Amino acid sequence: MYSLSRLGAPLLAALMFSGPALADIEISDAFVRATPPGVDVSAAFFRVHNTGGDDRTLTGASTDKAATVELHTHSEQDGVMKMRRIDGIEIPAHHDHRLAPGGDHLMLIGLTQPLVDGDRVELTLQFSSGDPVIVTAPVWSAQTEMDVENRIEENKHHHKMP
Amino acid sequence: MTGSPLKTLRILLVLTAFLMAGMTAAFLLRPGASETSSGNSLRLGGDFQLQSAAGPVSLSDFRGHPVVMYIGYASCPDVCPTSLAVMAQGFRRLDMEQQARVRGIFVSVDPDRDSPEKLAEYSAFFHPNLVGLTGTRAQIDQVVQQYGAYYRIANLDNSALGYAVDHSSRLYLIDADGQLNEVLSHSITPEELATKLRGLL
Ligand SMILES: [Cu+2]
Repeated sequence: MYSLSRLGAPLLAALMFSGPALADIEISDAFVRATPPGVDVSAAFFRVHNTGGDDRTLTGASTDKAATVELHTHSEQDGVMKMRRIDGIEIPAHHDHRLAPGGDHLMLIGLTQPLVDGDRVELTLQFSSGDPVIVTAPVWSAQTEMDVENRIEENKHHHKMP
Repeated sequence: MTGSPLKTLRILLVLTAFLMAGMTAAFLLRPGASETSSGNSLRLGGDFQLQSAAGPVSLSDFRGHPVVMYIGYASCPDVCPTSLAVMAQGFRRLDMEQQARVRGIFVSVDPDRDSPEKLAEYSAFFHPNLVGLTGTRAQIDQVVQQYGAYYRIANLDNSALGYAVDHSSRLYLIDADGQLNEVLSHSITPEELATKLRGLL
């Protein structure tokens, strides 16, 4: 204990938070869709940043809020939306990949409880190599999501801050 | 199964119907063009009857109300709720008096998972003026065909879902006389939808 405190608070803090900073995978912009009544499936979306020098593949995920989590993608073919399960999502070295509405998503199947706007869902993401990555995602209704997207759009248009 | 020439042909035919409907809207949407007589008919739209939690509902019950209709399924986690949220947001951009007049219809093509009771709750979650309907396979197929929509149950052997439903994702704008006015992309914004609704009020 005494030897630890000798390191000083700033250094201690740096050590404590060094885990995520050293990892090659960072997750941002995560959210999970709120569920309308009677629906026990949902979708999770986020952006994966692969800051490392190796290609990585998202191979699966789990959460205590759903019996099953699968990787899914949407494709639009001749105006018809098709949702299918996929085995993995590759994120090349030094690249980002966004799981976004209308495209790739984590499908949460067999929810243990309804997901309400403002809830939080902890997701454990597995990659082809390296440690699992844990991300806590807020639950948003499609409405909230639209408001957020609008704000992002507005910020883009009115971005005059120094 | 997915890429069979017959399926592709069917999709192409559906899309051709969309295109022709758009190009000849003025002609097609003249008064009296509401009934489709055969599958080859270019006249999209028309009356139909489906089941709600409160009993049978026909499009003609909505006379006097502009209607936005969407065809999908409730366990669709992404495309359907987004489209219904756009519809609800479009309604909310109208003033109170206008908003009170518009109606939404959500047609589920997945009656095995979506009972009328479930659809009632599901729809009200988005907007109080949105009703959820489904029916027998024959009733559903009739609406789908009348409006130039498309769906297919896709068995997913590798998924805990069991099956997904491939489907077209469009908003059908129907005027207060029950005539199909326009078929809208689901990427329309709430503001654009509200503007179109004001045009029908
Ligand atoms: Cu999915």
